[in-house]
Amino acid sequence: MTVKIDKTVAVSIVLHVLVIGWGLFSFSTRALPLPEEDTVAVDVISADQLAKVMAGIKTGKKENPKPLVEKVAEAKPVDETVGKITEKAPVVTDTTPPPQPKPVEKPVEKKPDPPKPLAEAKPKEEPKPVEKKPDTTDPIAEALKKEEKKPPPKPQAAVPPPQPPKPKDRTFDQTKIAALLDKRDPSRQAAVGDTLNSNAALGTAKGKSADNSATWGRLFKEQVDRCWKPPYGGIESQNPIVAFDIRLKRDGTLESAPIPEGTPATPYLRVLQESALRAIIECQPYKLPAELYDEWKYFTPEFAPDRRS
Amino acid sequence: MTDKAPSHPTPFRPSRRQLVSGMASLGLLAGAPARSARAQKRIPIPAEGDFVPLPIAVPNFAPGTPSDGEVGVGVTQIITNNLKRSGLLAPIDQAAYLEKAVNIDVVPQFNNWKTIAAQALVIGRMTRQADGRLKAEFRLWDVATAQPLAGQQYFTQAENWRRIAHIISDQIYERLTGEQGYFDSRVVFVDETGAKERRVKRLALMDQDGANVRYLTRGSDLVLTPRFSPSTQEITYMEFGQGDPRVYLFNIETGQREIVGNFPGMTFSPRFSPDGQRVIMSLQQGGNSNLFVMDLRSKSTTRLTDTPAIDTSPSYAPDGGRICFESDRGGKPQIYVMPATGGPAQRISFGEGNYSTPVWSPRGDYIAFTKQGGGQFSIGIMKPDGSGERILTSGFHNEGPTFAPNGRVVMFFRDPAGNAGPSLFTVDISGRFEQRVPTPGFASDPAWSPLLS
Repeated sequence: MTVKIDKTVAVSIVLHVLVIGWGLFSFSTRALPLPEEDTVAVDVISADQLAKVMAGIKTGKKENPKPLVEKVAEAKPVDETVGKITEKAPVVTDTTPPPQPKPVEKPVEKKPDPPKPLAEAKPKEEPKPVEKKPDTTDPIAEALKKEEKKPPPKPQAAVPPPQPPKPKDRTFDQTKIAALLDKRDPSRQAAVGDTLNSNAALGTAKGKSADNSATWGRLFKEQVDRCWKPPYGGIESQNPIVAFDIRLKRDGTLESAPIPEGTPATPYLRVLQESALRAIIECQPYKLPAELYDEWKYFTPEFAPDRRS
Repeated sequence: MTDKAPSHPTPFRPSRRQLVSGMASLGLLAGAPARSARAQKRIPIPAEGDFVPLPIAVPNFAPGTPSDGEVGVGVTQIITNNLKRSGLLAPIDQAAYLEKAVNIDVVPQFNNWKTIAAQALVIGRMTRQADGRLKAEFRLWDVATAQPLAGQQYFTQAENWRRIAHIISDQIYERLTGEQGYFDSRVVFVDETGAKERRVKRLALMDQDGANVRYLTRGSDLVLTPRFSPSTQEITYMEFGQGDPRVYLFNIETGQREIVGNFPGMTFSPRFSPDGQRVIMSLQQGGNSNLFVMDLRSKSTTRLTDTPAIDTSPSYAPDGGRICFESDRGGKPQIYVMPATGGPAQRISFGEGNYSTPVWSPRGDYIAFTKQGGGQFSIGIMKPDGSGERILTSGFHNEGPTFAPNGRVVMFFRDPAGNAGPSLFTVDISGRFEQRVPTPGFASDPAWSPLLS
């Protein structure tokens, strides 16, 4: 009996297999290594507990911790975009007509804000451009009003005031800049502090390189060594190692029976494995740091009694 | 497509759509990515400090019948003594036990034994049978995991109760240390009594723990260098009778004695081959001494060395292919290794001093020797190629090492300065656990038998 297949279907199948197969082989790459995820300890608490944790005491100190930084940048002298402006003596001419408040005020309002020297990176200057306008007009208007009072006693000329003298009235008084500065207390804290962190950097608990196994591993080793009586291997150094997968509960006791890695090949290795298993079971519970539980709840101790006597 | 009569099932002809979806699902399956398992931390745990023997509890074997109390206690004491003298196990004092009466038919209350820090537990029972035989049974438990490790039942003649105790000791020792046992064995030695100038020397045989001493000769003649046959119940030794010293064969069971051969000259330091069929010895003719092998069945002899030097104290390797012996062909006594059928000999000892009495371990991995130098006599071991030399003990006079059947323990004799006589000592091949072997009087020249079982 022959199976009749449409020729085109057959060719299609073959071509599909070829293309897919080629694709599988050529496009398959090693799976990207998953970045070591740092485990974040999560505790589920109720709203009451949260309120308790967050509640403060009225008599408590107002906490205003200064953020610590690793490095303080050197204070660089900042270029002033505008050159030092010397104070120009107000030029008062005879022909100066009494300044007309209205047309003068407008240019004043439009006067660009004098550049402030950027000595500190404090963001408290940020809210200033917004709030400065309503403030600055007042001192300037006041200053102008003072000036207005001065010229009137002087003889006034009917000569149409030349335009250039007008800008001279607008004296750039640098001292008045101080008056222009926002004197309110900074409402925002600096995001970056300027005090060096006195703690040596060990890495944070939530950092990517979290590995405190040196700490709890040493504690576990010290505790299990109390019970461990390795068999007498003799004077030949064989480099024997037996390992177990163990799971611990939070209180340091075993959650389940330790699982040995591999079956021992020689009577000595079997006896070694049994001695390590006895030690793990006998020395419960293990006192290990609670905050690192996620690291030591599942690990593999390797027992290596390489004893060169 | 032609119509066919439906005499056979219609062939499966997938439609184009079915084919496409089939291939697509295949592709999806094939493309399923493999998950990389996340490995958990591996913490290395090296062993700290000195070796600590394994704590083990051995309560008295229960009496199967009311009259078996004594043999139960006796067996327990032999086992406890054996395990303790090995140095690898530490029997806990019975006074500390919370539970003294045990029952082999039930699972033990492990908490009682955990409290006294026992890691292993032996429960046993002795029962005299109606036909006069003795039934011995035991179980070995792992206290921490509550698992049975070993268990056995033995039937034997009542007078063999000591051997049963040694056999059970071997089982326990093997299961807990991974080593072959050595307790069910005997030692032949030269028993010495009397004043130092007129010592009476008799051939004696005892259990390795010092019990059951039996004298094989009367002491009228000087006897030397007794050696066990590895496969038969025979001993070979030297005796200075009338005339020249001769090598004798002694059958332990029958008590019969025969001279190994009639050789012109003196014969010394005989040893059996591993199969027990040949005896190798050194024969002194004139001023020098050479090695000869004699087949016990055919009585034919073969000369192995022919040098003007003194070649003596030969010992076979356990596979019978090579021998080691002592020779002063290089000037001072040194150890040489040679093929068992003869041939070029290779020197393997190169330290400072004289090397003598080499003996090959039953495991084949070491050669023990006596080393004399710097005013001291030492017992040491080295590998058959001469490397790894280590001294096990040193003193005024230590000599004549012999290996236990498992190659882990060496027995030798030590002669203190002064008027006292020699005694037997054992030491582990690491140099640890040195202790004296109790003998009725002074003792020298020990030789360890193979395992009796």
